[in-house]
Amino acid sequence: MSLQVLHLPKGMKAMLLVRKKMMGSIGTVGCNEYHGRSKIGKREVVGFGLNGSFTYFDAPDIPMPAIRFREPNTEITALREKEKGNWKELTVDEKKKLYRYSFCRTYAEMEAPTGEWKSITAGVLAIVASAFWLYVLLKKYVYGPMPESTSLEWRKKQRDWMILWKVNPIEGISSKYDYENNKWKD
Amino acid sequence: MYSLNVVLVLRGLSSGSGGVDPNPGLAVPKHGRKETEEEFDQRYINYFNRKDIDGWEVRKAMNDMHGMDLVPEPKVVVAALQACRRVNDHALCVRYLEAIKMKSVGNPQIYAYIIQEIRPTLDELGISTPEELGYGEPELALANPYDMH
Repeated sequence: MSLQVLHLPKGMKAMLLVRKKMMGSIGTVGCNEYHGRSKIGKREVVGFGLNGSFTYFDAPDIPMPAIRFREPNTEITALREKEKGNWKELTVDEKKKLYRYSFCRTYAEMEAPTGEWKSITAGVLAIVASAFWLYVLLKKYVYGPMPESTSLEWRKKQRDWMILWKVNPIEGISSKYDYENNKWKD
Repeated sequence: MYSLNVVLVLRGLSSGSGGVDPNPGLAVPKHGRKETEEEFDQRYINYFNRKDIDGWEVRKAMNDMHGMDLVPEPKVVVAALQACRRVNDHALCVRYLEAIKMKSVGNPQIYAYIIQEIRPTLDELGISTPEELGYGEPELALANPYDMH
């Protein structure tokens, strides 16, 4: 029986290919995908890091990440060879190069202040100021007039009536008025 | 190489006391075994002093100790630096010293004391402290990825 080639419409064929690739990658995870090894390029895996996955990150509480920061090139490989010898022969520049090969930021750079608090404070104060401005605009253009009873004259009259009627004589306003001498207590 | 170490880690302390503990990475010893500070130090010194230590193991021990609420004794630091020498990694030494400085942030005298105590080892192995490399202050700056537009 001859092999029959199955001709599918183009869209279906593409779907089948994608499905096959997905099934393939689910069924057989290549050892390069564990822990993200396929994503790190040529960088050397050197440690456990935070949780075993091959990620580089600068964190003060995990001093040694799982991978080196940069990929090796000829210059660094030569330096690493020299590193196998006596370290007293390494110059300061070479030591710095070696450090920057393995790590992105030093601890001083990690913990350096960013000045972010200034932009945050500025933003917060700007929003609070705009709230005050909103109130001013509302008061000027939106709210109607206050009732008559809030005017000073009305309130004075109201106070005099309250004294006359002995409102709150024990601890309130009338307790502050000396009725025998017809004046306010000191 | 690291899968071998995973096996050793899992075997851990079930082999009982005595012998070199292949996994010093447990902050609290299991099975109710309490140990003194000298035993703790000695455990890590023995671990670092292994002749065949691997870069992976050095970093794991350093990360584990870094997670504990302590600053390592000078003799443990010396053993760690010698282990770094054995795996031929100078950057690791500098990073470790920076990490110790960060651990002693509440009391800067601790870092000065440790540097003073390990100065003979630093001179013998030719290790530069971070300050000698100029890494006491920030040298380069990294743009905040959240601010990149």
